[in-house]
Amino acid sequence: MIEVRDIIKDFSSVKRQPGLMGSIKTLFSREYTHKRAVDHMSFSVDRGEVVGYIGPNGAGKSTTIKMMTGILVPTSGNIQVDGITPYEQRQKNAMNIGVVFGQRTQLWWDLPVRETFSILKEIYNVNDADYKKRMSFLGEVLELEPFLATPVRSLSLGQRMRADLAAAMIHNPKVLYLDEPTIGLDVVVKENVRQAIKQLNAEFNTTVILTTHDLSDIEELCKRIIIIDNGRKVYDGTLAEIKSRFGTMRRLELKVKNPYAFKAEPLRAKYGLSGDELSCEVVDGQLNIELDRNRIGIQEVINEVLAKTELVDMSLFETKIEEIIKKIYRNEVNME
Amino acid sequence: MKRFIRLYTKLSAQYLKTLLEYRTDFIIGLIAFFFIQGFGIAFLFMVFQNIPNLNGWSFYEVLFIYGFANLPRALDHLVTDNLWILAGRIIVRGEFDKYLLRPMNPLFYLFADRFQPDAFGELIVGILLVVTALTKLSLHIGLIEIVGFIIAVLAGAVIYTSIKLIFASLAFWMKRSQSILFVAYQMANFTKYPMTIYNKVINIFLTFIIPFAFTAFIPASWLLGRESFAYGVLATCGVAAVFFAGGYALWNAGLKSYESAGN
Repeated sequence: MIEVRDIIKDFSSVKRQPGLMGSIKTLFSREYTHKRAVDHMSFSVDRGEVVGYIGPNGAGKSTTIKMMTGILVPTSGNIQVDGITPYEQRQKNAMNIGVVFGQRTQLWWDLPVRETFSILKEIYNVNDADYKKRMSFLGEVLELEPFLATPVRSLSLGQRMRADLAAAMIHNPKVLYLDEPTIGLDVVVKENVRQAIKQLNAEFNTTVILTTHDLSDIEELCKRIIIIDNGRKVYDGTLAEIKSRFGTMRRLELKVKNPYAFKAEPLRAKYGLSGDELSCEVVDGQLNIELDRNRIGIQEVINEVLAKTELVDMSLFETKIEEIIKKIYRNEVNME
Repeated sequence: MKRFIRLYTKLSAQYLKTLLEYRTDFIIGLIAFFFIQGFGIAFLFMVFQNIPNLNGWSFYEVLFIYGFANLPRALDHLVTDNLWILAGRIIVRGEFDKYLLRPMNPLFYLFADRFQPDAFGELIVGILLVVTALTKLSLHIGLIEIVGFIIAVLAGAVIYTSIKLIFASLAFWMKRSQSILFVAYQMANFTKYPMTIYNKVINIFLTFIIPFAFTAFIPASWLLGRESFAYGVLATCGVAAVFFAGGYALWNAGLKSYESAGN
């Protein structure tokens, strides 16, 4: 369905100098800075897949999505979405895709929600029968009925997001791009939106590309994730694989008399462990130790702590997926 | 074509509804608008009554050119007002994204997304002045004149649109181009008067570089019997075609350079 081949996107901007004098200087200077937002990115997505596209701020997620939707033209490389090059055949591509930007609504701001749908019906040439069918399905899944007559500007963020989702689906697109669809929503509304996305994918076999900073979105929706950082792909695979590779990681949180007494290095040297396999930090006077259960016994670690200081309280956790992915961002773990 | 008309009607209707959403604002706007237009006409008559003859042009000839100038300007103003906002805000804020995400020509969508009701005032004033002048001038008005007049007004509107399109498209590279668009647009004011009163440089500039002369003075002169049909109408159409092609090419190049905005 989607083929992204070796794309690069450079942005160039005039070099800016600080201050008012700097601004005036900038006016006359032609010095450009080039920033590479996306760097040799390749991947492909099959029909009906739900793919999480994640990375820290400024990693190039939105830029990639904007190239896939046809808003931006890549500096080099090639993209095909259902056999169409989006930035060359924008109008043809537009019939195939739905887009939701969490931070910017695509609804007609000053008009009741219902008006947006009636105009989209015209724009996408949806016939009456399909329109009725989809409106009743979307209305049910996204619970639109209570606010169809409300002007968009008066909607709550959760209502707006549901309306935006419905608006992106009214022409039954083959691909749905969701750029941070749960941003700013409370837990309950987030859950509603996720359920809706799930149902839409199941009902229409829509391919979904999703960017988010909320990893619970990913856990609930995506079998596959692509992690990018600095415009480069650092991981492409299943969430399950990450979990199984790091599933033996445990986190010990210890309240001790002297949290600085314990050091990881001696144990690492003794058992021949890497920094990934055993690490420790002190947060708010509490000693947190991360360890790989397959490489070192929890008992050995605790013994070592007890040998150094007095234990007050302790708890043991599986390392959260969020922690793991943060580590991947920070290049603290090797994905090869 | 039918689809274009249907979509245009639909989008304009939505925009009108938007205007009506803010009822007080709309009504105050409407009242203010009639005042402004009324004062404008009164002022014009006052000025012109003190200039009975301008460089060999009679009062009613001057009035005719002045009125004619309003017509293409109004038609363009009615339809393409969003170009101002494109040059000022839409590109720099990344709001242009939405025009690239719908199965419509982005320029068509930009035009259809907004219209400027003030243009009706310009149109009414223009027609009023042209008709007043015509009743006082003894001109021959046959079929050719009527058809030529309509074609020249439409071509003039296209010239307006093209010039605006060129300067607004610069925003794809400059991010904002409203100031330069404003300067260019203001030059049209020179062509509301008999241009023989200006020196050669201004004439050449407004005929060949930024050809606003073809939106008013030149076609109006043909109707006044002072220019040939070929120059007054055919050349106007030619200039409209060339400048629109150029403006549209620049616009398309701009679409490729559009950089959106970060979140």
